[in-house]
Amino acid sequence: MKRRQALIGIAGTVALNGAFTQALAQKGEVVIGVIYPLTGSSAQVGVDSKHAIDTALEIINTASTLDLPGARNAGLAGLGNAKVRVVYADHQGDPQKGRSEAERLITQENVCTIVGAFHSAVSATVSATCERYEVPYLCADSSSPSLSRRGLKYFFRTSAHDEMFSEAMFDFMDAMKSKGKPIGSVGIFYEDTIFGTDSSAVQRKLANERGYKIACDIKYRANSPSLSAEAQQIKTANPDVLLPSSYTSDAILLTNAMASIGYKPKNLVTQAAGYIEKPTLESVGDKLQGMISRASFSADMGDKRPSAKAVNDMFKARAGRDLNDQTSRVFTAMMVLAEAIDRAKSVEPKKIREALVATDIPGEKTIMPWKRVKFDATGQNTFASPVLIQFKAGKFSTVFPFEVATATPVWPMNP
Amino acid sequence: MTASALPQILATGLLMGLIYALIAAGLSLIFGLMDVVNFAHGEFLMLAMYATFGFAVFAHLDPVLSLPLVAAVMFIVGASVYAGVVRHAMRSKVNTGMVQIFSTFGLATLIQGGAQFFFTPDFRNVDHTWLSAKTLDLGGIFLPWSQIFGGLISLVAFGGLYLMMTRTDFGRALEATREDKGAVALVGIDSNRVFALGWGLGAALVGVAGAVLATSYAIHPQVGAGFATIAYITVALGGFGSVFGALVAGIVVGLVEALTANILPPAMKSMGIYALYLVVIFLRPQGLFGKL
Repeated sequence: MKRRQALIGIAGTVALNGAFTQALAQKGEVVIGVIYPLTGSSAQVGVDSKHAIDTALEIINTASTLDLPGARNAGLAGLGNAKVRVVYADHQGDPQKGRSEAERLITQENVCTIVGAFHSAVSATVSATCERYEVPYLCADSSSPSLSRRGLKYFFRTSAHDEMFSEAMFDFMDAMKSKGKPIGSVGIFYEDTIFGTDSSAVQRKLANERGYKIACDIKYRANSPSLSAEAQQIKTANPDVLLPSSYTSDAILLTNAMASIGYKPKNLVTQAAGYIEKPTLESVGDKLQGMISRASFSADMGDKRPSAKAVNDMFKARAGRDLNDQTSRVFTAMMVLAEAIDRAKSVEPKKIREALVATDIPGEKTIMPWKRVKFDATGQNTFASPVLIQFKAGKFSTVFPFEVATATPVWPMNP
Repeated sequence: MTASALPQILATGLLMGLIYALIAAGLSLIFGLMDVVNFAHGEFLMLAMYATFGFAVFAHLDPVLSLPLVAAVMFIVGASVYAGVVRHAMRSKVNTGMVQIFSTFGLATLIQGGAQFFFTPDFRNVDHTWLSAKTLDLGGIFLPWSQIFGGLISLVAFGGLYLMMTRTDFGRALEATREDKGAVALVGIDSNRVFALGWGLGAALVGVAGAVLATSYAIHPQVGAGFATIAYITVALGGFGSVFGALVAGIVVGLVEALTANILPPAMKSMGIYALYLVVIFLRPQGLFGKL
């Protein structure tokens, strides 16, 4: 009898708790779930993402003069100046944890949308869970093309995916070739989760279509203690352009492993991720001079996007570092979501979904070099035009497309 | 794989193997001494790397110089972990093995969480050491000095361990305590003290490994996990309770890993190690040099 009473008690508390949060949502508060790797080997990414989200919240929840949607007044005007509150969840880079945390956010915390998740493998499970509960998932920074091709109705991705990014890379290489730079072969080097495998699949396809020889095609185990053998294989193949898709610890390890066997890649065009993270640039930046990376953001765009500098300053005050490709996308996703909820005038997930479908924000109202934010039928923002940035003397400058470039590319990187 | 690449592959594999052996030495010692698998071994390695980083930043000591200091710090850590956690876990009357496993596993989680909280998840580097980013070119075979140093230190450590185990009273006390805890008490050896010293020594060895690794690896709260997995397989392959077996197994693991990575797709390189272990299990379940 006692046990049954206890169970009823627990069930009652849980139900009350749920009702309580629901009531809060109606009483001038919008609750959004944000899921990132806050611990584990990618924890730094999660911590930085948290700063990006908090920066966005500061702009949304307080009155600001920035020319961004939702900045003017404190809170969301469409919901009677309701404040946005975020519940953070930690997925540790593990798709299974991502799934269970997403479920907890939706059922226990009663969030009306979820933003996430860095790792593509985690975005895959989180978005599937959101779809099941009919809660919109705003994918800020996971770049696997396959994510938006699963026919999900509640999946939205503001930034470009790796096919768009890789296309920019090959467009750039084509352009360099037509300028008389010899590029015959590429080397594909990628980690073995969905990010690396999807990225490499696109690069392999593009290389074949556009007539580049694939000198090496190396899939490696993420977070290996050693990448010496892999570096050796790259050295033997010696491609004209090395195209790595790696997270932070692997990017550092590979750069050191290549240097230790006396190998300097002729050119490095990276799928961002680990290669643009501050720890990588701090520890092995001297060996990455001249590296080119795909990007959605570059700090040198100040004049074209006036609010970018102000947002960067706000972010830097929190995080102690500049916005990068990844954090700028997290920030932008949060702003886009707030704008949609504002228009939806509701915290009901279905209404928010409808508002997201109707989203159309011109590029000038963001901090990104994008043309606009507008989702196609698959939930992909097809106007998130990528740029390529080059790392020189401790700074990134935009080198491609040439019409928005602020510097001429140094090519080859290591003659 | 081309034949011309083989010498480089073998040389890299050998050096990595010696370093794997060094990392596994402390684990093997502790296991051999008291049948406790220390699941916080990777976290000990991580702490040692942070200690090296600390000495480099605050005292401007090169890892080569701070190595004995790091070993001393880790000795204290190891002995305290025995006194504070393992000793109590061993008092359990039932399922002692399980209690030990979960207590060290819990400790691992605690240390990792603590490191993340106090040191932040940022990646740290010991910059501009005497050894980092310097490479020896042996007629086309490139050997990073940090790995050569690691290999040499590994051999010295195993040599010292061998001498200590066979030539000193303490070594004999360790061996005797391992054989029969009750009997040594009768001849006046305090088994608690021997175990504490054994844990200290095991942690000091992983401290040496940490100082070596800090010359070429980025340091972050999860850095130990990957190495610990290899250390466990090294101890199992070499034979539980055989410190010398860990040396041989470390080298074997390094070579097999390097060769597998060049024959199979590199993503499958750890398969070679585990396949080899399964073969060894089939033929000699106690491991290559296991006495148990």
